[in-house]
Amino acid sequence: MLNINLLRALRLKPTKLIKAAPLCTKKGKTSSESSSSSSSDDERALNKTNLKKRSEEAREKLNLLLTKMVQEDSSKEKSSLKFAKAKDHRKRDVRKEAGTESVKSEPIDKGVVKAVQDVAESLGGDVKQTESELLQKLLNPVKEEASSTLSLNDLFKGMQIDREVKKVDTSRAEQVRQALQNVQPKAAQSHRVTKKRKPHQLESVPIDEQVNLHIEQRLEIFNPEEVCTWPDSSMNSTWHALHQRELQLSVTHPPSNYFQQMILWTNQGKIWKFPIDNEQDLDEEKKVYFTEHIFLDKHLEGWCPSKGPLRHFMELVCVGLSKNPYLTVQMKKEHIEWFRDYFKEKKQLLSEVGAFPAGFDIDQGVQKVVESNEKSN
Amino acid sequence: MNISSVYLKSFITRSCGQRISACLFTTDVKENIEIPKRIHRGPTDILRALESTVKRDYTAAHYKYHDDPYLIPMSNLGKRTFAMAQEAGRKAAYWVRQENADLFQHQEADPMIKSFAPKIMYNESSEVTIQDLNEVIEKSYVFDAVTIYKLLKSKNVDVPAVAMQQLLELLCFYNHEEPLLEDFIEERWFKQSFKGKERQRKTWKDGDLAEEIFISFDNPNEEAYSAIIQGMAKYGQVDRSWQLFEEALSKNLLLSVDAYNSIIGVANFLKEAYDLRWTFVLDMLSMMAQAKVKPNLRTLNNVLKTLSTMGTSKIVKENALKTLAEFRAMNIEPSLASWYYILITFCKERGPVSPILKNIMNELEGKDLQIKDEKDTFFFVTAMDICHHHLHDLELANRVNNLLNLHNNYDLIGDSYKESIYYRHYITLLCKTETLEEFMQNTYLKLVPHIYVPEPSVMLEILKCVEANDAVEYIPRLWSDVIIFDHVNRENLINLVLNILVSSENAESATLAERFSTIAWDIWNKIENQNENKINKISFTGEMLGKIMTLLLKNDDFEKACIVMDKLQNDQTTVLGVSSFEALELFVNHCVKEKLPSKAISCIQYAVDSGFEDAANLAVTLNTSLTLDETHLSKLSVIVGPDVFK
Repeated sequence: MLNINLLRALRLKPTKLIKAAPLCTKKGKTSSESSSSSSSDDERALNKTNLKKRSEEAREKLNLLLTKMVQEDSSKEKSSLKFAKAKDHRKRDVRKEAGTESVKSEPIDKGVVKAVQDVAESLGGDVKQTESELLQKLLNPVKEEASSTLSLNDLFKGMQIDREVKKVDTSRAEQVRQALQNVQPKAAQSHRVTKKRKPHQLESVPIDEQVNLHIEQRLEIFNPEEVCTWPDSSMNSTWHALHQRELQLSVTHPPSNYFQQMILWTNQGKIWKFPIDNEQDLDEEKKVYFTEHIFLDKHLEGWCPSKGPLRHFMELVCVGLSKNPYLTVQMKKEHIEWFRDYFKEKKQLLSEVGAFPAGFDIDQGVQKVVESNEKSN
Repeated sequence: MNISSVYLKSFITRSCGQRISACLFTTDVKENIEIPKRIHRGPTDILRALESTVKRDYTAAHYKYHDDPYLIPMSNLGKRTFAMAQEAGRKAAYWVRQENADLFQHQEADPMIKSFAPKIMYNESSEVTIQDLNEVIEKSYVFDAVTIYKLLKSKNVDVPAVAMQQLLELLCFYNHEEPLLEDFIEERWFKQSFKGKERQRKTWKDGDLAEEIFISFDNPNEEAYSAIIQGMAKYGQVDRSWQLFEEALSKNLLLSVDAYNSIIGVANFLKEAYDLRWTFVLDMLSMMAQAKVKPNLRTLNNVLKTLSTMGTSKIVKENALKTLAEFRAMNIEPSLASWYYILITFCKERGPVSPILKNIMNELEGKDLQIKDEKDTFFFVTAMDICHHHLHDLELANRVNNLLNLHNNYDLIGDSYKESIYYRHYITLLCKTETLEEFMQNTYLKLVPHIYVPEPSVMLEILKCVEANDAVEYIPRLWSDVIIFDHVNRENLINLVLNILVSSENAESATLAERFSTIAWDIWNKIENQNENKINKISFTGEMLGKIMTLLLKNDDFEKACIVMDKLQNDQTTVLGVSSFEALELFVNHCVKEKLPSKAISCIQYAVDSGFEDAANLAVTLNTSLTLDETHLSKLSVIVGPDVFK
């Protein structure tokens, strides 16, 4: 417990600073461990080896100082809030640090220096060196020089031994490793690329057990068999139409090729529909069968003489009309009717020139036709 | 005779291609020809088939941009500006067509294409009929509908109840605001989805026409009640929608399922405490069961939505799963929106880590997804966020990404804003978990810049990765990207690039040194030639200048290094901090090489001013490697003190 407290307290500062300073990671190190890992492991091992020699009394004092340091830490964070820049909004992997609230760089003040001093003193041994080492880590993690690597290696070994002895620390070591993966994922990983990352093993926070999405237990409010027999709601049809429209629009994105654009235009009714039908959208005309357009002779029956020049002329009119695509059937009919009425008016002249066969009376014929039309209507 | 009959048979069965030879020797082949039924094709089926053969070209800009190097945007801002410029052109065309309808007389198409026709304008003097009202409601022109309705009222025309109801629904759905026209797809794509935030506060227009119409009904029926309850709940007028809901119930009206859904969806505004909220939701569901109102997908989603606002406790999660089971029993399968709510219920920022996304992916994998709920588009971005921040699971992230790229599922990405957040999470996660080489080859070079342009924060992550691996070979490409993406004004990026370059161990080769020096000089120029009026200007720091100088000197660009040195010396007031001693030492060494003692002396002067204790050593080196004349010597002794040379 004591160990963990100590470690937590000591880990706080260096990791924070490392995370805050973007350039802090050390380069030129091809070995798999990174500076940040060594910085935290370093202190751990150092403190641990020293601690073993310490008396109970000293431990208590140390513990007290460290808790003070943590408290000071959190108060500092509050005061530094106003310095937070916009980019700090970005979520970091905060949650992985058990005790850390947020990741921020803070000015190091005398309080920290004092705390470090106290720690070093309580540890005993080479007080000055311990203190300067700690301070160096805290204040200047960037400029960690090669001079420290020798002792660092020793300490690293020490840490490993320690871990073998105390199984409790394994998860913490994992945490450290994970914390530095955020800073320099590649360096830390290069020697274990093959190892698949199992996130739930690395997390320090409690983990939910596997979730079964198909549990049997229900809310027991609805009775499924009954519900199936209930009618679907048919209310608010306009609302539904609008809702569907909005849904459709929310998945309509700028077309990413010409075909998509054509699909869009087709749906908006701007271009021909495939397969091409040249009578597209001519809905009124669709109701009329094509024979109505072509066989117009029936409109001559009754009023037109069955032979002679008049018949000849009217048949030609029908042929012409049957080939005209621009007129509707109604217009063609009216056209023929115009001739009918015209000839009716001119019947005097027509019978004089002998255009009517003998005994033909156009008036009667027209009368009949009109009557039969009215009847059928 | 015999032979000819065999030949005849073979002739008859010739249609069955390969069998011809066989048929030559057999006389009794019975072919059963089945004529397939005609398959009815929709107007876009052929186009869809063709479209499915076109794959996304990662090396090309999006289709909407002109295929011209000068007009292909590279930065996020550029992409937006170019697309919106196009949209603005489209709008201008609309306006011209609308304003000068009489000028466009020729009719190409018969019958006329309605979407090309200008919109009919209605004003106070228009002659309107019920028919017009129905038409504008169908086209969802909210303002026109209001105008026509008022005109009809002023002329004392009786509007039929059906039309009134339709108008009420239109007004409630859009809250008296004109929706964006269907044609402006780009605008919709780039519009930031503030909707989510806006829903939080009340935007319902109190006392406007919708309420007037509602009051004008003598005895509002359940349809009218349902419409106005939905409208109020949708636009944050929660209290009154609840009030109307109770009123309708007290009148024994059978409200629509959507009205119940709306009330369930706003339960978090109606009830403060979590347990009360859940009891409320259960009550609502029981009421539905009693009233025999058939629940639908939106009921499920709204229950889950309310659950997602109820904290991290275990009971909430259990309830969410029970809800899923309840609705599954009624054959209501969850949509993406349901999974979205499940995700945000289980994976809270401060709560325990939950691997539920894996289960959800097992459900969804390989499916052709369709939109069923407006929140469906939130799923992919949230899932990727959880892969990145919550689970750190590369494999899962790839599964999510594969699902997104399957069939037409990419349509569900939402809008440009969500898309870029999605890729931000995905790229950052890949960058952190894959080896740098894999990442650069498979992801970076593929997706950047046409699919996704990394934001400065993502660029920083990538550069950090490069730094950790000392993979300087990627720096030239990354730096040119930084310039293209307009991130040059980010001081942290510049610092990191310089840092990587200076401390790289692989930089010894001449070609790299040359490229690095180009980059350094580039940085110098960018900062030196900044626009005077620019906000957030970057200012040089001594360290930065020192690094630039080092890089230049490594490539023997002595003249340029001198310019940097001059800046260091002359602008000590504006330049923060001092250069590193190593840079100065390198400079002095180069001065020696070039035999320019005066430059070296001024550098030593700077070193002394900056308080480097080793400055004296520089002077000694200079003195020993060059024969200095009197004036130089006296200057040196003034700077470092006369004792040094004794």
